[in-house]
Amino acid sequence: MLLQLNNIFKWVNSGGQRIFLLKDINLEVEQGEFISVMGPSGSGKSTLLNVIGMLDSFDEGEYNFLDESVHSLKEKHRANLYKQYIGFVFQSYHLLDELTVKENLEMPLIYKKVKGSERKAMVADMLDRFNIVGKKDLFPAQLSGGQQQLVGVARALIANPKLILADEPTGNLNSKQGEEIMELFKQLNEEGVTIIQVTHSEKNAEYGSRIINLLDGRMV
Amino acid sequence: MLKNYLKIALRNLINNKVFTLTNIVGLTSALAVSLLLVMTALFELSYDQFHAKKDSVYQVYLSSQTPRGLESGTSQPVPLAPALKADVPGIKHAVRTLSDDVLAIYKEKEINLDAEFSDPAFFNIFTFPAVKGNAENPLSDKNNVAISEEGAQKLFGSTDNVIGKSISLQLGKQEQLFTISTILEDPPPNNSMDFDIVIPFENHPEYISNMDRWDSQFHLVYVELEEGITPEQFEKNTRDFTSLHYKGSIENAIRDGAVANADGLYKQFHLLSIADMHFTSFASGMAEVKRTFPYMILGIAFVIIFIVCANFINMNIALSERRLKEIGMRKTLGAVKKQLFFQFWMESLLVFMVSTILGLVLGNLLLEPFKTLFNTRATLDYVTQPKILLIFGLSIFCVTLIAGGYPALLMSRLGTLRALKGKLDFGKNRLRNSLIVLQFTIAILLISGTLVLHGQIEFMRNKDLGYNKEQVISIPLNGKKDSYRVVELLRDELKGNIDILNISGADNNLGLGRDGSSMNSMMGFDYQGRGVVTNALTVDYDYAKTLDLEVVAGRTFSRDFAADSLSLVINETMAKQLGEEDPLSIRIPMDDGATTYSVIGVVKDFNFQDISKQVNPLTLFMNNDWDLYYAYVKIAPENIAGSFEAVEKAWSKIEPQAEFLGSFLDENLDRTFRREKTMATIVTSGSILGILLSCIGLFAISMLVVGQRTKEIGVRKVLGASISSVAILLTKDFLKLVALAFIISTPIAWYFLNEWLQNYASHVVLSPLFFVAAGLTACLIAFATVGSRTLKAASANPVKSLRDE
Ligand SMILES: Nc1ncnc2c1ncn2[C@@H]1O[C@H](COP(=O)(O)OP(=O)(O)OP(=O)(O)O)[C@@H](O)[C@H]1O
Ligand SMILES: [Mg+2]
Repeated sequence: MLLQLNNIFKWVNSGGQRIFLLKDINLEVEQGEFISVMGPSGSGKSTLLNVIGMLDSFDEGEYNFLDESVHSLKEKHRANLYKQYIGFVFQSYHLLDELTVKENLEMPLIYKKVKGSERKAMVADMLDRFNIVGKKDLFPAQLSGGQQQLVGVARALIANPKLILADEPTGNLNSKQGEEIMELFKQLNEEGVTIIQVTHSEKNAEYGSRIINLLDGRMV
Repeated sequence: MLKNYLKIALRNLINNKVFTLTNIVGLTSALAVSLLLVMTALFELSYDQFHAKKDSVYQVYLSSQTPRGLESGTSQPVPLAPALKADVPGIKHAVRTLSDDVLAIYKEKEINLDAEFSDPAFFNIFTFPAVKGNAENPLSDKNNVAISEEGAQKLFGSTDNVIGKSISLQLGKQEQLFTISTILEDPPPNNSMDFDIVIPFENHPEYISNMDRWDSQFHLVYVELEEGITPEQFEKNTRDFTSLHYKGSIENAIRDGAVANADGLYKQFHLLSIADMHFTSFASGMAEVKRTFPYMILGIAFVIIFIVCANFINMNIALSERRLKEIGMRKTLGAVKKQLFFQFWMESLLVFMVSTILGLVLGNLLLEPFKTLFNTRATLDYVTQPKILLIFGLSIFCVTLIAGGYPALLMSRLGTLRALKGKLDFGKNRLRNSLIVLQFTIAILLISGTLVLHGQIEFMRNKDLGYNKEQVISIPLNGKKDSYRVVELLRDELKGNIDILNISGADNNLGLGRDGSSMNSMMGFDYQGRGVVTNALTVDYDYAKTLDLEVVAGRTFSRDFAADSLSLVINETMAKQLGEEDPLSIRIPMDDGATTYSVIGVVKDFNFQDISKQVNPLTLFMNNDWDLYYAYVKIAPENIAGSFEAVEKAWSKIEPQAEFLGSFLDENLDRTFRREKTMATIVTSGSILGILLSCIGLFAISMLVVGQRTKEIGVRKVLGASISSVAILLTKDFLKLVALAFIISTPIAWYFLNEWLQNYASHVVLSPLFFVAAGLTACLIAFATVGSRTLKAASANPVKSLRDE
């Protein structure tokens, strides 16, 4: 088992009232699964993804990731954990504007303190695999949306994560580009990477092996 | 239309509260301080400019070629002025002036007045208007004197019914009766000749004995040239005159190996405009007019204004980026360049106007403390002249034009589409960065200036001057009694007090006493066929003992030897100048061989003059015919306050009428570098304000930059960046700018400070530590400013910044 959420609650206090963002979430994810999270806008999909990605905290419940209990970990260990095992893909790509494609790919490796020569090899490998060798010296602004997302996925993958979290990865893309990314995800999943994606599209959800529906922070 | 602009401008300013406030606070304090600094500078620059005839009246100085090089002096012999007037064409008036303290007696009252001994034409060439009495010719008679309103207040308690009154003045050893002919307006504060009373020159006690002597020089001479006569013509016209009257000393100079100047002359009279005289130094041998001090103050004021304006421009540019979308929108709505420009300019103008008003208010509030702190008598009148106001108005106009106009220009040139996209890349970072670098260059310059100035002051204060400055009180002998008698009475009076160690006297002070007077006494004589020049000091018994002077050879004056009035004690430099292997063998014939002095002792060099000078030759005389002007009392290190009181009490018993002006020598020393201290205060406050304002700017900019980069920070953190690595990344960019500023400023600072230190014969070593300290200070302050911001941004949860809209 990759991760397990038990009775997760998350809330914010607003005007003396407790507003629940997540309510009693119970979820088990096995290695190699491809899960699609669906639900109306504001239902808590991104919040759930952020909790799974350890970017956000929760107020109640237990979260175990690879036999580590995340809820009792210190901030620093948690950061090490997600640095090592999780890659993120965003709807609006979030590439670093002032860095080239190559440098963007390199960034997570630098933060993981991978040595220079090794880094170069891994970046070259990734460029090759995604067929973007020709674009390696371009800046994000010089790429199309689809190409940018391709780089985004490549960047999420470069550190060999066990889990990829993608929040509406095709939200800003046209259907053709979206399909390409989905095909890519499917292929990655077949190679053994676990994927959790948030999507509004039934069609994209079909790529997954399991669909989770959220409504007002509750799994339905 | 205007109302509309104003409304939007106001709304925008309120929207960006933090920046608007920062700008107003910065501008207000900068304007207030600059106002005060400009006032001080203009006051300094206005010195002696009030004389109506400032373009035709000059001070006369004589430059002489000597074996030691070129030397110039303003002290002149008594017969010079009448001779110039009589023999040299083109001179309308020639006037002698001599400043001295004079004891004035009216009925029961005895008061020391600042006197100016001068000739009747004094009032022809200088502008000192009369209030009452004879305005045309106040010194019409040898026994007429003119008194200032303040002087009259002091002496008579009123300025009414003063004309025609008789007063006594103590001149030399006797009292003489005078009639008040005129009451004068008080001399303005920006005046080099401060006086309470003007007395006809012939009454000076030294007048009679020096009437025909060309070799005794002790007063100043001013001339008014006739219309059409230039100083160059005067110089030419006086050449024959000079060779005639200074024949003897020219021959001596030639004999001693002096080299003639370019015109083949050994002595040449020059003129120095009275408009320049406040700013003149003769340190290099020739008159050098330097207005460094006021210009430095103006420079600091300018620099402070520059720093806030740079802040203002920087913030405006950075802010305008946030407003790109608004601009794009306005453009699609049909706004044209001019309107956009007006909009931005209006905002700048508003901020500046508010700040100017607040600055004026603040400046006025700070006026009094400022005047005390900087020890200036300037008033705001010097700033509120129409010319200055016009310049000020124009500069505000220009700055707002740049500050408001530049971003407006950038934006209005920007295509509508690009503006809507919200991206601006016009090399604005380069402008912003250059301004920050420039600000910090200035800040570091000022900080290193501050450090070195204080270093030098401390150096001077702690320097071993060769005498005991902590335990010795010097007392100006301003009473009526004979000076030797007073010293003797002090000895008697304080004999029983075990804390009083020694008492002596001399005719000159060490440092600057509370009487505010200082003088130099020089003499020259021939020794072994060479001309020798020395400073002369008349002392009483125990002088060396009282001041802890070290005797390196022979002895000092002693009561055990009857003939000590023909003995000399010299300092080491003098001994070196005389060049004898055994200085105690030296015999010096003086007064054309009528008397022969013999050297009985050598004292170690001590700083008897201004500390900025090196120690010059000095000869100590002991002669009861020559008055003492200061008493020295050495006290035990214990119970200092009690001893001082005892001395004061003894004084008021001996001289009940005269004010006790005694002070410790270390206080006197401090007074001699009042100028340095004022300079240090100004530079220090300038640098504190400068660095503070630079930091305000840096803080605002870092806020904006961090704001712009929140998304990037979030991404980096999600990619695994630690808090510290993000904080370093953000801070690094700013520290790089400060480092660059350090590299630029250090050589400049080094150059100027080194130049300045050359004014001091002995000065603090210009160690690199000063600059490292200045650089580190700037870095630390910048780091503290930026660091808090960046650290906060770096520790923020990335989820917030990465939320997809
Ligand atoms: N820090 C917060 N404080 C208050 N409310 C929050 C906070 N974060 C999220 N929410 C609220 O929680 C709810 C869920 O937000 P979330 O971003 O998870 O929705 P979502 O399902 O991803 O929606 P979408 O499909 O539009 O992206 C929303 O109503 C949002 O307003
Ligand atoms: Mg969402």
